[in-house]
Amino acid sequence: MQPFTLNYARPAVQLDVTAPYAYDSGLQLNVLPDGRIAATDHATLRALGTTTSTAGSKTHFDD
Amino acid sequence: MTVLILTSEEDVTADMVVLRLREAGVPVVRLDPADLTNGVALSGEYVRGACRGHLSVGGRLVSMSGLRSVWVRRPGVPAARAAHPSAWLTEESAQALYGMLRATGARWMNHPDAARRARHKPWQLHLAQQVGLAVPATLITTFPQAAREFAERFPDLVVKPVSGAHPQEPPRAVPTSRVAPDADFSTVAFGPTLLQRRVAKRADIRLTAVGDTLLAARMPVAPDAHPDEVDVRFAPASSPWAPVDVPPRVAEGVSRYLREAELAYGAFDFAEDADGIWWFLECNQSGQFGFVEMDTGQPIAATIARWLAGAGEPGHAGADADRSTAS
Repeated sequence: MQPFTLNYARPAVQLDVTAPYAYDSGLQLNVLPDGRIAATDHATLRALGTTTSTAGSKTHFDD
Repeated sequence: MTVLILTSEEDVTADMVVLRLREAGVPVVRLDPADLTNGVALSGEYVRGACRGHLSVGGRLVSMSGLRSVWVRRPGVPAARAAHPSAWLTEESAQALYGMLRATGARWMNHPDAARRARHKPWQLHLAQQVGLAVPATLITTFPQAAREFAERFPDLVVKPVSGAHPQEPPRAVPTSRVAPDADFSTVAFGPTLLQRRVAKRADIRLTAVGDTLLAARMPVAPDAHPDEVDVRFAPASSPWAPVDVPPRVAEGVSRYLREAELAYGAFDFAEDADGIWWFLECNQSGQFGFVEMDTGQPIAATIARWLAGAGEPGHAGADADRSTAS
């Protein structure tokens, strides 16, 4: 028998998107292909939901 | 003096703070403990009554004594990306890294001991009660009969994980969910179950606390929202987050909460009811803030950067002279 709480579980949403930025160890920041700093591109961040409070993280449960 | 940020490379929310620190000319070293022994190195010696330590990452070398603060943001599992990872190596690496960092005079956001304690939701609820925050009636139990009796006293309930964690095999999410009035509580016996009186909310509140600074944001519930849409993380966003003033009693309670919990940062979730009461739901000691800043324009990243860069504020244990170097 599964615990009561798991009656309310749903499949985790698997984000099947690749972030369009890469980490630059020199800058210690993520950078877009055109050289802009990813954190300044709010449109991209919103589209990816990377700064959002999300449930289901594998490694962190502080959202 | 250097700010040390422990987080993953893909953490763009941390980038927002790194940018502010750079603008302020504050040295930053960012590393992911997961890269220990594979890109990240450490050394510490304890000789003749003195201890000296260094961290190295990406060509940067920083002295432990040159750290002004440590921001534990989204660190990976120590040595998880080592050439030959193992549970033993993880424990060795965690003990070495965090043990050395604990011996520095750096201030923490948040200290690992405080963070570990603060993750316990039952403890959060108790502390929130103690500091005068409104807490919805809650039951955590493995007794089916206790759940049934609670449901009779509070017929409109929600259920959510006690830990906030989500099952991974297979990957599933467990949103805060409304419990049907005729629910069968017999399976409560198979796992601790957190039942809470549902707050008929007119808005969600996210209050981000950074040191003494409280920045609150409010998202009204859509007029046509279904009462079963309890969890704001899973409901479609009806409108953006907007800044809101913190009621004085809530501000006092949150400040006391942070003091008692020994937290420098906390992201508090409240549900605002029809009477304007903010009901405490939880405090995420490392909660996200980027989405709030982007919607509201509130300077959360800048406030975190100021706290990390600050000296002589409450909670700061003085560090030695700046000996950090970048190469």
